[in-house]
Amino acid sequence: MSGPYAIGDLIGERYEINCFIGEGGMQFVYKAYDNLVKRMVALKTPKNRSAVKRFNRSAIVAAKVNHPNVAKTLDYIEENGDLYLIEELIYGENLDEALLKRTNFIDPYSAAKVLHHIAKGVAAAHHAGVVHRDLKPTNVMVVGGFSLNELKITDFGIAKMADEELAEAVEGGSDSMTASQTLVGALPYMAPEAIDSPRNVQYPADIWSIGAMMFQLISGELPYGQGLAAVRKIQDAKIPVPPTFLTSNSQFSPLMKEILEIINSCLQRSLDLRPTADELVRKCGDLCYTHTSRESGVVTDIRYRGAWGFIETDYKNVFFHSSSVYGPHKISVGDRVVYASYGGTPYQRAFPVLIEKH
Amino acid sequence: MPRIPPRYQPTGESSDGGMGSVFICDDKVLERKVAIKFIHNLIHQRRMIDELAALLKMRSKHVVQVYDILSCNFEVLGIVQEFIDGQDLFESHQIPSSPTDLYKQIWQIASGICDIHTLGVIHRDIKPNNMKTDPEGVIKIFDFGLARDDKPQAGTIGFVGTPGFAAPELYTGIVKFTKAVDTYAFGATVLYLATGTLPQELKETPPKPSIHGYFSSITLNLAEEITKLLDCCLATDPKVRPDMCNVRDALAKHLLFNRHKALVVHDGKPSYLNSINRSVGLNRTSIGQIKIIYNGLDFRITECDGEIFINNQEAKVDSILPSACVIAFGSPDRKQDRIYVTFDVSHPEIVL
Repeated sequence: MSGPYAIGDLIGERYEINCFIGEGGMQFVYKAYDNLVKRMVALKTPKNRSAVKRFNRSAIVAAKVNHPNVAKTLDYIEENGDLYLIEELIYGENLDEALLKRTNFIDPYSAAKVLHHIAKGVAAAHHAGVVHRDLKPTNVMVVGGFSLNELKITDFGIAKMADEELAEAVEGGSDSMTASQTLVGALPYMAPEAIDSPRNVQYPADIWSIGAMMFQLISGELPYGQGLAAVRKIQDAKIPVPPTFLTSNSQFSPLMKEILEIINSCLQRSLDLRPTADELVRKCGDLCYTHTSRESGVVTDIRYRGAWGFIETDYKNVFFHSSSVYGPHKISVGDRVVYASYGGTPYQRAFPVLIEKH
Repeated sequence: MPRIPPRYQPTGESSDGGMGSVFICDDKVLERKVAIKFIHNLIHQRRMIDELAALLKMRSKHVVQVYDILSCNFEVLGIVQEFIDGQDLFESHQIPSSPTDLYKQIWQIASGICDIHTLGVIHRDIKPNNMKTDPEGVIKIFDFGLARDDKPQAGTIGFVGTPGFAAPELYTGIVKFTKAVDTYAFGATVLYLATGTLPQELKETPPKPSIHGYFSSITLNLAEEITKLLDCCLATDPKVRPDMCNVRDALAKHLLFNRHKALVVHDGKPSYLNSINRSVGLNRTSIGQIKIIYNGLDFRITECDGEIFINNQEAKVDSILPSACVIAFGSPDRKQDRIYVTFDVSHPEIVL
């Protein structure tokens, strides 16, 4: 266990601490059992007392958003001067852990689904008058790993609070910027205007962050790098150059080109040129993509000078064609891969195939 | 009035619902207006808690949110819900002037019911009085009949459901709630919304729906597919009634008329199918050929011959392409020499 609570601690005469989940820059997160409704919930509590007032405000803000792509705020408790935010417990990992820890980048079908669902969640928030301000891969939860069964944006509340810390760090100059853990994590996804005037961040800043996050997911690279060096690059706001493999395979390039166009529209320096969240949802609605559940296996056989081969899982062999393998690397025997499978006789057929990190 | 925790301050407004009183309160902690409903005499408390737990998890645009429950002992259960400021569809109702206007309303209702059913919960009291339009114009279903099958004697004082909207099987003596009960009530709700009334035989107890259906004779000229589905919703036999998610999807298809798009990648060359480019023909010499046409609703095979397989099933003229599919040229015995063409469709949003 970590943080201030121990297993079995009872909060609000109702929530019983079950285990420690983790900590962000601003808060501790626990899994707790709700004795009234008889289910597990996520319990968040701020790390330091200076954050207390903002924590309250953030709970109120987050509770206004009702959408399947946004984690649900259930309750807020003040007890003996301590504060707790109760949120739905999501049985999953964040985008970074779920996807980027396993592969260097994701295929356009997965990218379309992630983008579409994040856009819908953000649009619901903007309709409720809420700006997230801190969209980044660690604030998006995924259920089902590469199958992307559910996607939920979290930490709306914390974002509001983090915002204050971000503003102080930015105004404090480079020393305080590198000292702020929250800022270090948020910076690569921050819009230029959020760096220029951090206290006055509006809806388009979320759109920029979606663009930056998506660029990283499809390319494996942060669009403007990280650390203080990123600040100037973000302010220059040159459209980042995507790696050539994104559009070199004609099986994948039509969809990827459309996704890149959307990402570029989000990364515009001028706020007016970025789409609104509603426009973004509409554009995503025009993307042709199918997303079926993903499996994983190991390449056991490659034939005919690499034209095709087989992937082995615990219970079957799956056929793949080299044009279905996405990415700049040549596939080799022994590679672990993630793929979706379609009907085929005598073997199912894998499409798309993504090589996992070694 | 039962004890309400101090965080909820009664506004003084209240109403009496079928299952108990509803108090409108201000939640001082999360600064929002809530409607707290108290249910007394809990018989199936365990099941109700399970259903409430499911509803607490749910996030549907078309169902009023359940926020929390209060004091859960054997006498009383309080349900804290989202308060919607607006008129219900019975009070505010105006007969839609076009099929699209009606589809927009009933697609929302079907979506809400489908979301509820997907959780394994049955609403039990679908009717226009239990739906409200919120200030953004979104229809939301509320007032779950959670306690409705506490009294097993139908046809007595404890009759379950609302005449006109209650399915025929609810009058047979043993109340057995299934999802089909909601489907029937949905059908009756649509008929009410489309015409402003219900025919006499549906108001009987039990109702005696006509085997000829109702929706082909109403003034609004509904699409044939929709007419058939809605008539099936009002079937006397619950097994004939469609799944609400299918009803929702069919309505969505008609609301999205001409707005779908499909991307076909063949030999590394993309072709798009949409309302402007309605057809694509694919062929491989000495293997076979196929032609697909977008008719505004579906992507349909209009011609095919030779060895063409859709998701490993032999392609047939007049069949509709599934939204996730791969077209294979060449029968399975060609093994790795089969040629595959991907076919992916877009997911346009319904704008209300």
